[in-house]
Amino acid sequence: MRLRTWAFCLNEANQNLLRNPVLAIASVTTTAISLLVLGVFLLLTVNVNAIATSVESQVAVRAFFAKNVPQSQETAELQTVRSWSQVRTATLVTKAQALAELKKEFGDQAKVLDSLGTANPLEDSLSVTAQKPQDVKVLATRLSHLDGVVHTTYQSAVVSRLFALINDIRVVGLAIGVLLLIGSLLVITNAIRLGMAARRREIAIMRLVGATESLVHWPFILEGLILGGIGAIVASGLAYWSYVAAYHNAVRSLPFLPLVAPSPVARDIALLLLVLGILLGAVGFRISVRRLARV
Amino acid sequence: MISVRRVTKEYPNGVVALQNVDLEIGKGEFVFLVGPSGAGKTTLLRLLFREEVPTSGSVMVNGHDVGRMRPRQIPYLRRQIGVVFQDFRLLPQRNVHENIAFALRVIEAHPREIKRRVSQVLELVGLSDRGHALPAQLSGGEQQRVALARAMVGRPVMLLADEPTGNLDPHNAEDMMRIMLEINRLGTTVVMATHAAHLVDRARQRVVAMEGGMIHRDELAASYHVEVNR
Ligand SMILES: Nc1ncnc2c1ncn2[C@@H]1O[C@H](COP(=O)(O)OP(=O)(O)OP(=O)(O)O)[C@@H](O)[C@H]1O
Ligand SMILES: [Mg+2]
Repeated sequence: MRLRTWAFCLNEANQNLLRNPVLAIASVTTTAISLLVLGVFLLLTVNVNAIATSVESQVAVRAFFAKNVPQSQETAELQTVRSWSQVRTATLVTKAQALAELKKEFGDQAKVLDSLGTANPLEDSLSVTAQKPQDVKVLATRLSHLDGVVHTTYQSAVVSRLFALINDIRVVGLAIGVLLLIGSLLVITNAIRLGMAARRREIAIMRLVGATESLVHWPFILEGLILGGIGAIVASGLAYWSYVAAYHNAVRSLPFLPLVAPSPVARDIALLLLVLGILLGAVGFRISVRRLARV
Repeated sequence: MISVRRVTKEYPNGVVALQNVDLEIGKGEFVFLVGPSGAGKTTLLRLLFREEVPTSGSVMVNGHDVGRMRPRQIPYLRRQIGVVFQDFRLLPQRNVHENIAFALRVIEAHPREIKRRVSQVLELVGLSDRGHALPAQLSGGEQQRVALARAMVGRPVMLLADEPTGNLDPHNAEDMMRIMLEINRLGTTVVMATHAAHLVDRARQRVVAMEGGMIHRDELAASYHVEVNR
């Protein structure tokens, strides 16, 4: 089509929107809200994932030695463990250090430990952290096979519960987002259909004087793209800028949280929302187009 | 120009509107389609611009096999045909000029060309000074002349008119008739379905009379009713 024909179609689309401004605003708003909810859940998932990953990799596997293992063997084994590829850090925790730590954790209640007197019931251990969270299990097994090691522990229950929680958040977020998207799709479709009904005479005349079907269709395609597109721009803009702001605040006030930097992620999600919004408009047209054949 | 061969049209509800119709219309002819209500005049016209397809038989218009053409080609057929209806079918929010220009804009004509041609057809129908009026500000006769201008602005080879004077008073009807004869004189083939006996009688053109979906009379320089003592 020629440029002036695009201008004509765009003008027709605009007039449809202006003819029914309430419905146009409703379409844009519902699209923006549903995309925003989707975006927020995606950002949330990405971050909770990152936190979980960092928590899991920081989980230390502890390998406890039998009481009679000599210190020299323990240090030798520490060196062996440090050479393993899955290992990020490995330290030897003597029973004295372990008791001191325990006292520190008890804090004000440290007095209860006084009843122990000079006896130390604890054992020497290796504290090992993994390179990757999925190595934790392997490490635990390897450590348990070491000479003199009686048992190993790691916080697998906590981690798996965390992952279950993330999954729940993801499923719920996705379900809510999809439901809202369907809702906004219906509103957009309805707006396009009303436009078709309002322009019935005009379409009939266009066909009578020999306009091509694509020229009959384009004003409505553009209408859908405008409605979905504006909603998407609002949603992706809001999602992007509020995430950047939230991230910088959090970095300052909660520096220990391993949040995901906005630079690739927020931009990608904003782009995804934009594409989804435009897709909503296109699908809205696709659903309404059958009605156009009958006018 | 128009060649209808053994055409039968049965609507989906079972009504047979045309039965085995044969009709030849040459380039530059003026033809009245007459007959009682329900005779099939409108149906025949609708077959010519592919608003309907024949159930059987063939409809040729300006070299196109209208009944079998692909949907993509329909717009190009319609650009060669102007159509006027009893109800003028103007766009109420657009003024006279815009209503006529609309027909050219949607076939992507050049703006300069549109301007030139719109003023030409406005002159043809005698409405040069009403270009900015809205349809609601015009009389029925004027509205129908705008519709006629819109039908002619694309310079069709053929004009189809379905009871174009049906909603007009006698004076406006005569004006309309005069312009249509003028259009025909300038070279456009015209087919006009009508009940207006006095207009047919005065014009003395070819008359095709239908009844019950069949053509029972086809005469040159004829009148509305059969002339007994000719
Ligand atoms: N779309 C349709 N669906 C079903 N039947 C139709 C349709 N259009 C017309 N008919 C029927 O076909 C027959 C011919 O109708 P048509 O409109 O062609 O007659 P006409 O000669 O134009 O009549 P009039 O002078 O009243 O305009 C009539 O019986 C009519 O009821
Ligand atoms: Mg009729």
